[in-house]
Amino acid sequence: MTLRHYFSLLDVQARMLLKADSSRFRLGFLWWFLEPLLWVSVFFLVFNLILDSGKKSGDFILFLACGKFAFLWFSKTVSQASGSIVASQGLVGKVNMPKSLWPMSVMHESLYRQSTVYLLLILILLLFGVTPMLAWLWMIPVVAVMYLMIIACGLIGACLVCISRDFQKVIPLAMTFLLFTSGIFWDVRELADQEKAQLILITNPLAFMIDAHRQVLMHGQAPDMVHLMLIALAAAAFTALTVSYMQKNSQYLALKVLT
Amino acid sequence: MLELRDVSLDFRSSKGSFDHGVHHVLDQVSFKLYENETLGIIGRNGVGKTTMLRIMAGILAPTHGEVITRPGASASLLTLGLGHRLDLNGRDNAVLSAMLQGASKAEAMGYLEDIKAFSELGDSFEEPVKTYSAGMKSRLGFTTALLTHVDILLVDEILSVGDAEFRKKAEEAMKQRISGKQTVVFVSHSDTQVKDLCDRVLWIDQGRICAQGDPDETIARYRASMKK
Repeated sequence: MTLRHYFSLLDVQARMLLKADSSRFRLGFLWWFLEPLLWVSVFFLVFNLILDSGKKSGDFILFLACGKFAFLWFSKTVSQASGSIVASQGLVGKVNMPKSLWPMSVMHESLYRQSTVYLLLILILLLFGVTPMLAWLWMIPVVAVMYLMIIACGLIGACLVCISRDFQKVIPLAMTFLLFTSGIFWDVRELADQEKAQLILITNPLAFMIDAHRQVLMHGQAPDMVHLMLIALAAAAFTALTVSYMQKNSQYLALKVLT
Repeated sequence: MLELRDVSLDFRSSKGSFDHGVHHVLDQVSFKLYENETLGIIGRNGVGKTTMLRIMAGILAPTHGEVITRPGASASLLTLGLGHRLDLNGRDNAVLSAMLQGASKAEAMGYLEDIKAFSELGDSFEEPVKTYSAGMKSRLGFTTALLTHVDILLVDEILSVGDAEFRKKAEEAMKQRISGKQTVVFVSHSDTQVKDLCDRVLWIDQGRICAQGDPDETIARYRASMKK
């Protein structure tokens, strides 16, 4: 199949997924905003009102929002993409399509949805008195690299789940692990041991990306571009490897899905 | 056009079942498919007919043996309901199905009115597929399936859809496709359809070819074996 047809089909599938997603629930596309907002409210309730962690409440909500919105995008999309080939068992057995089509459609759809969430984030920042700055343009490479990371992880996850369904149990556990270790409700930069902090930022690319979100949006600082580029390169390399694997083993993956 | 040589397909199933946990779906199947002929495949349920079609369509690869296709020949598997998304309406599903079968977006949009007319879905075409009856879903599936233009058409039991009137229309349309310059492999449980449409017939049982050749003869042998 031609590349052009592939991307055209990808786009149509992504739009259809969006449409199906919003028509399934009564509140429709409002859930794209409600879910992130609900999470942040819960965090605020727990960390500010109940635990009274003493941070300036406004800043802390922004801190949570930046981290949580980015993490939600990563975790929900990678989880959904990983299960997408197995979920489309019917189609896999009927058409000879590149297996990457299904996870890519899910991830492409998430990009459309997440763009509205980022707009919501900007709105929240403005509401809390953060003045819009030119430095926010750094979000463009940050979001691009985030998307690349999601693609790499989603494609690998999709292959793994095809090969063994057990990975469908492993992936949510991995996401929970990342939820706690990526500095979403604690600040990596405030760790007493800064060496530990650096180690975390280096070994956990998600922690780095979340920190980058905060650096740009809250402090107007450019992220560490070298580190960002390295993550981008690694993600691109993994993506290329996985796509090549999926192409060569398309029929093997189909057999695994169907049996 | 297409040849299968000693093709076998195994897969691992739960331990203790089949042959030490290995299900031999196809066992040393060999046959040739010639250009412009209509080959019928008959056999009971579960003998490997769909698997064979999937191998011919390139969806699955054999565990042993080889599949030799004429270079540049395209194959497409025609089954009902090409993965309908229940939350979307008939129109959107038709576009998606057409594109999944190789049409470009522009072509798919162009076919829409024809699909609506042929499937006789009327206003339901704009309603979510989850509200469709089974017959309506099959009509939608069949109509979009008719659009494929490939060298080798692999038809998996799709002419048993709809009410009697629609079935007549469907059979006519299928006959037109098949009698033209089209290589077809046709799986069906209906003896009349097979005798009517096929030049040659293959009888498969337990993953092996039991007989092949003249439609009347092969069908007779198949029916005889069922009576035992």
